[in-house]
Amino acid sequence: MQSPVFLDHLPDFEKIGGDKPARYRWQRNQSLLQLLLDSETIWTKRCACPACGEQSTNCKSFSKALLDFQRCTKCNSIFAQRVPTQEKLDQLRIEFIEDGPPEKDREFEFISLLNWVSITEARIERSLDHVVDIRFSSQMAGWKETTERLSHNRTWDFIDLSPDTCDFTDLSAALSQSSPKAVLLPVELDRVANPEMLLNAIKKSCPKQTVLFIASSCADGLEYEILGADSPSFVPLDRLTVFSISGLQSLCNKVGLSVLECSTPGRLDAVILDTHFKSEENSNIPFWSGFFKDADNNRLRDLQILLQRSLKSGILRFVAET
Amino acid sequence: MKLRTAIIGYGKMGKIRHKAMESHGGFDVVVACDTAIDPSATVPMVTRPSDVYDFAPDVVVCSVPNIFIPDLVCTALSHGKHVFCEKPPGRNSSDVQKMITAERAAGGSVLKFGFNHRVHDAIEEAQKLLSAGTMGDLYFMRGVYGKAGGPDYAKNWRNDPEQSGGGILIDQGIHMLDLFQMFAGNFCDIQSFVQRKFWTEVPVEDNAFALMKTPQGVVASLHSSATQWQHTFRLELYLRNGFISVDGILSASGSYGAEVLNIAINRLDSSGNPSPNPELQEIRFTQDLSWNKEVAEFYDAVVHGKPIKCGTSQQALDVMQLVEAIYQADPEWSQTLRTSATEVTG
Ligand SMILES: [Zn+2]
Repeated sequence: MQSPVFLDHLPDFEKIGGDKPARYRWQRNQSLLQLLLDSETIWTKRCACPACGEQSTNCKSFSKALLDFQRCTKCNSIFAQRVPTQEKLDQLRIEFIEDGPPEKDREFEFISLLNWVSITEARIERSLDHVVDIRFSSQMAGWKETTERLSHNRTWDFIDLSPDTCDFTDLSAALSQSSPKAVLLPVELDRVANPEMLLNAIKKSCPKQTVLFIASSCADGLEYEILGADSPSFVPLDRLTVFSISGLQSLCNKVGLSVLECSTPGRLDAVILDTHFKSEENSNIPFWSGFFKDADNNRLRDLQILLQRSLKSGILRFVAET
Repeated sequence: MKLRTAIIGYGKMGKIRHKAMESHGGFDVVVACDTAIDPSATVPMVTRPSDVYDFAPDVVVCSVPNIFIPDLVCTALSHGKHVFCEKPPGRNSSDVQKMITAERAAGGSVLKFGFNHRVHDAIEEAQKLLSAGTMGDLYFMRGVYGKAGGPDYAKNWRNDPEQSGGGILIDQGIHMLDLFQMFAGNFCDIQSFVQRKFWTEVPVEDNAFALMKTPQGVVASLHSSATQWQHTFRLELYLRNGFISVDGILSASGSYGAEVLNIAINRLDSSGNPSPNPELQEIRFTQDLSWNKEVAEFYDAVVHGKPIKCGTSQQALDVMQLVEAIYQADPEWSQTLRTSATEVTG
């Protein structure tokens, strides 16, 4: 298994610290609050870590704001103690996407995903000429258009976000019909009620040796290790399961997927922590406040690269095979 | 099936080959030969190469100074043995021609040369990207391969042209040239500067610079150096859609660092032109598997009749001809070579 590092420009803090992300967090938390107050919401309690299966009684409390979260003592994954139905989660996301302004300026991220597929295709020496995108096109306006413009040597099917059952009946049917060589799953794993069900559905509905491109938030990231639930990236409804590397590896093993590659290409840990430790109330934290006090972009970039090389950034990518 | 193996030349390289063969499991090293008996050797030793045939080997590994290579290889082939031979394949292209003639005469014997850089992980990955067409047409290549002379530089047989055929270019730079030819084919147009800068009393080059072009127009530049005080291996391939580079190469000394493959595919701006500094994918390799892969390929060729892909005699000939062409392309250096040849022959 290989662990590539994805080196690129660091994004500006505006992207994570501006009004738009704050508004996004507030709106998603409003949705969660309504869900919690709604007496008809059906919740499923998670008795074990959804990544490695460790009993949740052995796990530590991570946050009790709005929704209780735990951190697995065995694999370090973070997970909500209870989750609503998949159908309800999907409905909420659809409403949110319909109401909110479209995502913009994601071209670099889109190209990174396309290049990830192209480079992997060359390295595994197998054509991935037909790819199914799972729900990313619903989440990200402009993605479908980017594939049409830049991905010439493969065909794409797009499975839109729609209210599905807990075992992803509709998604499975669409996948079976499409018979892909590769599946792209960049924003689902941390958002669904049961990631194991999702991976199982994909595995059962795709031909053998289908290559899965998975991206998700990463609990091993320095951002989560230091800031925990205070991280601006920690929006509970979008982070029902935050996998650690070993946690996702365990789940892949359990489902019968072989992992070809893992990486943590996150680019935000350093800038997020920089902002946190430069604020007045965090200016006296041992080591870190001093580290960030005089940190310029070069130091932040060096730190981010070190985190990526050490598999300790807040986003993970896996390439796995059915 | 176990192949009875004789290793002629039981120094550093011979022992590396022995270890790789042991770990493969398909070889039984029955005898080793060197100028002196190594008391720590775990196999029977002899001091005359001809004595190894008393042990009825199936294959002969030839890890000796360049001057001895052609005769030992031709003898082994004439005995009907399969031969694995270190690079450089002798001292010049006529040495390789001799071995090719013996190989043809021997019929079914396998002859493989140890151009192990071809099977380093980062290089193999680069080759896959080229083969897949992901990166488009190859435009140019740049290679720097260098080290800081080495212990006993002036006394080392590698720097005695009588024994080695040349200096740093034929000894180390040859690997980079072999990779260039693997990626782009043979070169037709060659310019060079070949120099002695630090070891001016030693009759071989300590630096060689070459600029070469294939008939298809792929340009390659090489700097092979024995005054590269910071040990360096760097190979860059620039293509239509991006670039690939390999920084560092895993070696027995470890002094060239880990092997890092960098891959970048261009991002196009709204007018369709590549924007500078695209996202880079970096992959590190920390385990040198090249020795094992070479031995495995040799075994498969001998036992299963699979064709040799890495280190064929044709590749050996091509790269030796390129080395000679680089020496010849510098008028001052080729004059120096002619003068010393005249002095030797009287
Ligand atoms: Zn766990």
